[in-house]
Amino acid sequence: MRNRKIYKYTLVLLLFIAFVSNNAMGQGPPITADKPIMLSEGTFIAKTLTEYRSTDFGDFTRVPFMLHYIFNKNALVAVHLPFVTYDFAPGFGVDGSGFGDMNVLLKYQFYRKDKTGKTFRVIAKSLQNLPTGEKLDIHDMATGFYKGYYAIVAGYETIKYGISGEVGFNHSPEDDTDELKINLGFGLPLLKPVYPVNQINLYFEYSYVRATEIGADMLLYAQGIQYARKRVTVETAIQIPLYQTNLHHGNRKYSLLFGARYII
Amino acid sequence: MKIIKISILASLLFLFMGTTEATAQKADRDNYTVMVDGLGCPFCAYGLEKKFKELKGVKGVKIDMETGQFDFTFPADRPLSIEQVESQVDAAGYTAVKTSIKRADGTVLKSEEKLKTLDENALVTEEIYVFGNCGMCKARIHKAGNELESVASVNWDIDTKMLTVMYDSSKTTISEIEEKMAEVGHDTKNEKSASDVYEALPGCCQYERSN
Repeated sequence: MRNRKIYKYTLVLLLFIAFVSNNAMGQGPPITADKPIMLSEGTFIAKTLTEYRSTDFGDFTRVPFMLHYIFNKNALVAVHLPFVTYDFAPGFGVDGSGFGDMNVLLKYQFYRKDKTGKTFRVIAKSLQNLPTGEKLDIHDMATGFYKGYYAIVAGYETIKYGISGEVGFNHSPEDDTDELKINLGFGLPLLKPVYPVNQINLYFEYSYVRATEIGADMLLYAQGIQYARKRVTVETAIQIPLYQTNLHHGNRKYSLLFGARYII
Repeated sequence: MKIIKISILASLLFLFMGTTEATAQKADRDNYTVMVDGLGCPFCAYGLEKKFKELKGVKGVKIDMETGQFDFTFPADRPLSIEQVESQVDAAGYTAVKTSIKRADGTVLKSEEKLKTLDENALVTEEIYVFGNCGMCKARIHKAGNELESVASVNWDIDTKMLTVMYDSSKTTISEIEEKMAEVGHDTKNEKSASDVYEALPGCCQYERSN
């Protein structure tokens, strides 16, 4: 029995190592935040960022499949198809799983200033939340309501560090959950920047959400690490609340995130 | 014994053919060097290479993250113009600052002069010692060298501090190139930079000056 367990762990470990060494590659943006830099036109990027979230109302997992396409040097369109599992605390709902809210993302870069080894860019961003999920009131996972998010993202990236900031408004016409969102991300490469890509990046990310209609606030901090080699990136992060009040969807305890990206 | 001899001969023949082919291939390719701004991370470099790989035939890609120097070769029978190269960099989402092309026949084109060529017969390559420390020094030295109209190419080695420079000797001299280096804060064996220029360099670039 003990041997079987060891074999099982060994197999999982080997599969993980094989995945990291053969496939790990990709993009280097923040994990929970966003940045304005896009790769060259005609590029597809397949991504996933699984989030396991623990809250007062229960534990939820969102596993999205995301496909991004840069159809022009200044523009990107993406579709996010999430699968959500929910395990509500007693009295808050019924457990289950299914498709969450689908997202359609558009980005347009309207400002670019390049220097040797550094760049500053600003983009406009729109994220349409389509009500394909059940009406479960799981924030950003499955709400079953249409929402339109509009933001400006700015970023300064050098080969020594990266900073990105985002300010946006989430308009929710069908329920009273309009939100102001502010994200701030700092990235720090731990290895000397070389090409072909071989990077380990640390990320420090802050996310602030203000539900304007109900007066609720939430400030989250995420600490992440990312490994990128050639066309693959794998990443993981932990996100914890620094401050939260009056949340209608339950106080956050923590979130664990695991992601991978592949440039097709 | 006979089999061994035949094998050795076959191997030598194979090696010879391989070398000849490689040399022929090298001679049939143009060398491109583009100084690219905006490469803030290695993923940006990936985007740049990917865009150029759309031009079938791009090989020998090298991208220096610190200086933004992007080198590649392309078949000489399908020459790319400076405009084509720079618009491809732009399509990748970055900025081409300077481009130089060394054709397989020795002709050199530079972006500032567009199709005006340097005198091939007067091109000479020399090495000079240039003081400096880091990647930022390298970027500054390369930029200064490339600003000289009669310089075809520059390459400064961080470890040896030697600057390899190819220039049109009918239009400039090695002294003029050394003066240019001193102007941007980098001493050479024969030219000293002004103290205020040296002191204005970032801390990491302030090399130890010789007396």
